[in-house]
Amino acid sequence: MLRIGNDIVDLNLAKTQSNWQRPGFLEKQFTQKEQAAILKSENPFEQVWLFWSMKEAAYKCHVQQFQKRFFAPKIFLCKILSNQSGIVQFNNVFYYIKYRISNNYIYTTATEKNDIKMVSESFFIDNNLNTTKIIDKKIQTYFSSVVQIKKNALGIPFIYQNDEKTPKTLSKTHHGNYGAFAFILDNES
Amino acid sequence: MKKEEIIQKLTTIVKPYIQNEEGFKNMSEETDFINDLEINSANLVDIILDVEDEFDIHIDNDSMEKMLSVKATVGIIQDKMNA
Repeated sequence: MLRIGNDIVDLNLAKTQSNWQRPGFLEKQFTQKEQAAILKSENPFEQVWLFWSMKEAAYKCHVQQFQKRFFAPKIFLCKILSNQSGIVQFNNVFYYIKYRISNNYIYTTATEKNDIKMVSESFFIDNNLNTTKIIDKKIQTYFSSVVQIKKNALGIPFIYQNDEKTPKTLSKTHHGNYGAFAFILDNES
Repeated sequence: MKKEEIIQKLTTIVKPYIQNEEGFKNMSEETDFINDLEINSANLVDIILDVEDEFDIHIDNDSMEKMLSVKATVGIIQDKMNA
């Protein structure tokens, strides 16, 4: 079974929610190489959140695979390959990254293999009250019968049909005014 | 420093980052920063930096890895302060 992770960063919220220039902030979560790339970037703020989003998406994929939670952003090593793809390395495991940067958000997916067929959608969310409901409703539109989304103890979401867990791997993300989900098609075998 | 005192200081530290008021009201040793307080994972770094400042300790990568709950964080703070 192939896993997937995704992550969205609301850039407007990131501006106020975190101060990437705070002493220690970069050192705690980025490698020397990543820090250097951030500092020489034309848009360091955007570079910080792209790297962060890549690490976060890869981590979500990793948790599905290894079933253990932890907080170690620094050991997820980011490499940008193009203006929409990259790789995150964790020890000897590689995660394939696709990303999209708009004026308002950065959206990233991570998968264990390159070019996996997936469904993924990112969208604006008007208010933060019913985020989970809004995201789950969007997922429902891809299914002809009723589905339920339930998270397990590790926080990993699963798609259920008729109270049975489907083998589709799913990842959901929400930050500020943006939400997204991604799931892998043809994961039944 | 006593556990209760550490938890009290930790409560003040996490307050600006919490997104689940209910979870914060019931904050205890068993509280998970992400599952119960819905803290954005990027803000976990802020919490770690705040903890370093408040308790005058250095948190290494191995310790940071475990800092997802109040219990684990209190344990790490105690270890570092006694080291």
